Amino acid sequence: MTVQEFYNEVGGDYNEIMSRLRTEDRIRKFAGMFTRDESYKTLVKSIEDGDAEEAFRAAHTMKGMCQNMAFTRLYKSSHEITEVLRGKDIDGAKQMLDVVTEDYNIIIAGIEKLLA
Amino acid sequence: METMETLEKDIILIADDAEINREMIKFIFDEQYQILEAEDGEQAMRIITEYSDRLCLLFLDLLMPKKSGLDVLRFMNDEDYINTIPVIMITGEATDETDEKAYEYGASDIIYKPFAPNVVMRRAKNIMELFEHRIYIEHKLEKRTRQLRESREKLERSNEFLVNALSSVVEFRSLESGEHIQRVKYFTKLFLKYIMKIYPKYGITKEQASLIVNASALHDIGKIAIPDSILLKPGRLTEEEFEEMKKHTLYGCELLEKFKQEDNEFYHYCYDICRYHHERHDGNGYPDKLKGDEIPIWAQIVSVVDVYDALVSKRVYKDPFAVEEAARMIIEGECGVFSPEMIDCFGLAKQELFAVTEGEFSFADVMVK
Repeated sequence: MTVQEFYNEVGGDYNEIMSRLRTEDRIRKFAGMFTRDESYKTLVKSIEDGDAEEAFRAAHTMKGMCQNMAFTRLYKSSHEITEVLRGKDIDGAKQMLDVVTEDYNIIIAGIEKLLA
Repeated sequence: METMETLEKDIILIADDAEINREMIKFIFDEQYQILEAEDGEQAMRIITEYSDRLCLLFLDLLMPKKSGLDVLRFMNDEDYINTIPVIMITGEATDETDEKAYEYGASDIIYKPFAPNVVMRRAKNIMELFEHRIYIEHKLEKRTRQLRESREKLERSNEFLVNALSSVVEFRSLESGEHIQRVKYFTKLFLKYIMKIYPKYGITKEQASLIVNASALHDIGKIAIPDSILLKPGRLTEEEFEEMKKHTLYGCELLEKFKQEDNEFYHYCYDICRYHHERHDGNGYPDKLKGDEIPIWAQIVSVVDVYDALVSKRVYKDPFAVEEAARMIIEGECGVFSPEMIDCFGLAKQELFAVTEGEFSFADVMVK
């Protein structure tokens, strides 16, 4: 799978990421790092625990990474959940978590294929 | 630029809780700089403390576990790192509130995700250059200030030496109490301490006080023009001789006027002290019979301490008075009337004056600052 195919599949912006990171090797390396990041897990767990502050930070971190990786689709959902959590609305966040999870899983599955 | 005497600053610290975000900055700089990373605010503070001398830039995420980016900025302000280590804040979105806070706490710039490597690189270089240059200028200014202060102190010491040497000419000639002038200087300094504390109305500053102390050494310089037959007479003076002796106040001024410096404060203190240090509050002094506030405060001070030292010193025509007796005579106006302010200060300073009179310590030690 090429990097371009990967970005098309997961709803990302290939041109943007190439303009910033320049090489596909580098993009692959960063994609690998993305799978190791714990923010998503932390987000899920802190929403379960009702810890809005920790959930906000995790969502915020995830959003920032998506911005940097030009993962447009996951960026949008993580941005929305970040804003809901900024207002400490755990119930609202619970409702949005499914969408975030779906977008996240698409990215992770894509990266697995990319790096296979 | 001239050569700089600074340590090699070659480390960039990146503080962000997400590895990806750190790497995104790291790859921009890691060919030219050593990179250190912090995953949270606490780690960032530890690294700043340890490597403060070598850090040339800090990328700082706002939202981090343990301690936030603002906490780190606050810490850098408290520990005074903020003026030597430039900080670029990293943030996901522009909110005026946090941006304003970051700038208020001394961040140099803010960059927003996603990072554009070229822009980040250029901004970082600009900021590092700016800081480097500012620190260089500050070093230079500090050095210059130090040099100026040193040369001023040297000049002051030379001045004091010359004034001392000049004023001791009279003492040398009259072969009497060689330390009178040093004591008058020391007493004047003591008096000024109390005047400045109790009577701020006179508005005497520390700089003025030090000039006045120096000028007090010259109070009797006019005695150089008094003939030996009077100056060295082993006994009481006749009325006529005393009239001549009184003229030392005018002779002193004549001497000083030859080198008049109208715009020099020190010259005026010397002149006033020479001329008016025998004037009295009630107008019964000499040579001009000035009264009350007409007598400059510095001349009033020297006149009291001069009288006190004369009373407690041995002369060919008299034995020294005991210190308490001398104090009583001054306070009760037996040596002419002094202003209430002078009497007040004399009361406050007298124990310290007594200690000098009764102690045997050398003035070489006392006057060394």
